[in-house]
Amino acid sequence: MTEHPTITRRRLLALFGAVPVLAACGSSVGGGSGGTSGGAKAIKVGLVVPQSGVYAALGTDMQRGWDLWLEQNGGKFGDYTVTTVVADEGETPQTGVPAVQKVLQSDGVDVVVGIVNSATALGVADTLKESKKLLIVTNAGAGALTGKARTPYIWRTSFTNAQVSAAMGAHLAQSGFKDGVFAIAPDYAAGAEVIAGFTKAFEAGGGKVVGTAKPAFGKTSDYQPFLTQIQQSGAKATFCFFSGSEAITFVKQYQQFGLAGTIPLYGSGFLTEGSVLKQQADAALGVQTTLHYTDQLDNPANKAFVAAYQAKYQASPSTFSVQTADAANVLNRALKTATALDGDALAAALGGVGAVDDSPRGSWTFDGQTPRQTMYLRKVENVNGTLVNAVVQDLGQQSQPR
Amino acid sequence: MLVSILNGFAIGFLLFILAVGLSLVFGMMDVLNLAHGALFLGGAYLGAQFAGDGWGGFLGALGIAAVAGLAAGGVLSLMTEPLRRRSHLDQALLTLGVALVVAELLIIVFGDDPLAVPAPPGLDGSVAVFGATYPAYRLVLIGFGAVLALVVHLVVDRTRVGALVRATVADREMVAALGVDNRLVKAGVFAVGSLLATTAGVLGGPVYGARPGLDSTILILALVVVVIGGLGSVRGALVGALIIGQVDTLGRVLLPDLASFILFAALAVVLVVRPQGLFGTAVAR
Repeated sequence: MTEHPTITRRRLLALFGAVPVLAACGSSVGGGSGGTSGGAKAIKVGLVVPQSGVYAALGTDMQRGWDLWLEQNGGKFGDYTVTTVVADEGETPQTGVPAVQKVLQSDGVDVVVGIVNSATALGVADTLKESKKLLIVTNAGAGALTGKARTPYIWRTSFTNAQVSAAMGAHLAQSGFKDGVFAIAPDYAAGAEVIAGFTKAFEAGGGKVVGTAKPAFGKTSDYQPFLTQIQQSGAKATFCFFSGSEAITFVKQYQQFGLAGTIPLYGSGFLTEGSVLKQQADAALGVQTTLHYTDQLDNPANKAFVAAYQAKYQASPSTFSVQTADAANVLNRALKTATALDGDALAAALGGVGAVDDSPRGSWTFDGQTPRQTMYLRKVENVNGTLVNAVVQDLGQQSQPR
Repeated sequence: MLVSILNGFAIGFLLFILAVGLSLVFGMMDVLNLAHGALFLGGAYLGAQFAGDGWGGFLGALGIAAVAGLAAGGVLSLMTEPLRRRSHLDQALLTLGVALVVAELLIIVFGDDPLAVPAPPGLDGSVAVFGATYPAYRLVLIGFGAVLALVVHLVVDRTRVGALVRATVADREMVAALGVDNRLVKAGVFAVGSLLATTAGVLGGPVYGARPGLDSTILILALVVVVIGGLGSVRGALVGALIIGQVDTLGRVLLPDLASFILFAALAVVLVVRPQGLFGTAVAR
């Protein structure tokens, strides 16, 4: 008890001491970066990506995309020298939100880039609003981020869950599967958005969903019961959304239980994107998916990007690398017209960047605060012993479905 | 439907191999071994590591997993020994700590990408059963599991060693009074139980793959089996595992809306109707 007042006093002292110091830091950073005219200008970016947990592989791809873009552009956005502070997003908002707060508050960054988990992105909206700092989301696909829960401080260079699946819905309705498609995705927020986006577009095209299933997310290792359900439903095709280990298990079991030969498998592109494809091996052959990128795209920007990426990392880039490289790209464009580095000025500048015509994914524009971009129909093929997502068809430019 | 029942048997026998060790150790020494799932995952990673080398790799992985399991069981038995007079919670916390450390070590060694484990050559295809296509490996798994169940049953029920194990489960003090060092019995059962867990990991690899987090998923399944079957009973573990196998597959087909909690519903029913488990003896303390 006797110690209690001392601690309180100390805490108070610390508080009073810390606040002016922090404020001083903040203003000096702000002054140093935005204010000086003509001289060396600097921008500090917080790259918050998963370095641990189940999404660590995505985080690696994202950081590589970011680093590569900066390396190719002399570490600068126009006149601004870029300093990157990397923080670990982890798996959940419990780790992701503090990571964003850390780079904003103790590292004093001007912009935050990254974020895989949608719940984390939604969870930092208030922090961004209070500090008037901009976040460029380079993966998290929740529609609400740039829809219902929109704030001017969150922009996105990736995709929305429903945007990717709606493209497949429209495509399947036009390609002879109107009579019946079975839709399956894990029982969580992203899975529900994917199924909803698919169903809406598929039914708008006159298609009929003959059944849906929602396996428990992260707890299902054996899909046999669902595969039996699909067979019994009389579906002509299956549409699915899985990622990570679930994508591997589902695709392999889909083949083992003999469905691959009779009921073709379609999916959201994450089913066969990145490192899972190698593990799925031949079971993935012939699987068709929609996505806004594949490293097989035949355009000069992508060919250069893939070559540089392979030379530097001895691996192929994934959509996650491109999404993060594009965040650097749009920041570079925005800083040409931005009057300051705060969220309001950057948001205004981002609104005016127009077409991002040198992206590896092909030209895209901001529609609202999320990309309007070309969706590609891709098919897993074996090219010289390596499985790739080959481009089958260009499905045209599409926005976030409303 | 028939395929689902068949698949329930495949999952059930795999669960039996996994759970019988957990059940015996818990029933005998009151040691709740939460590291059991981590041992399974270790076996699965071994299987993934050697999967490219055909049958030699598969059998090699089984052999290494068996030796590693024996050793791990011995170490765990030694570690829990000083805590034998303490509460379940202390022992559970110790094994939980071991489980977390092992899981982290596995990530360091094998990386955190999920790995697929192909079945050995010749079994990686599918065969037609009841007019449906079924993975050949799972059929072999059913046969292997059935044989192993029979062996474990015969050893525990018909041999002197088995009698000693059963006696220790029933009344540890009385066995000690007869001049048997029951620490050795415990170490032996712990070692064999862990061997079965790592072996189940190698065998389960082609079904479940190997990935971070699989250890806890599997541990929960094993615990459910043990509680349903009754502590310390081989027959209980077998019946519990087969029931859970069927509930988990057939239940998902027949009652898809209840899929996420049907397993625990079965557990709850057993706990209400027969708290000691189907084949457990009522605990009188």
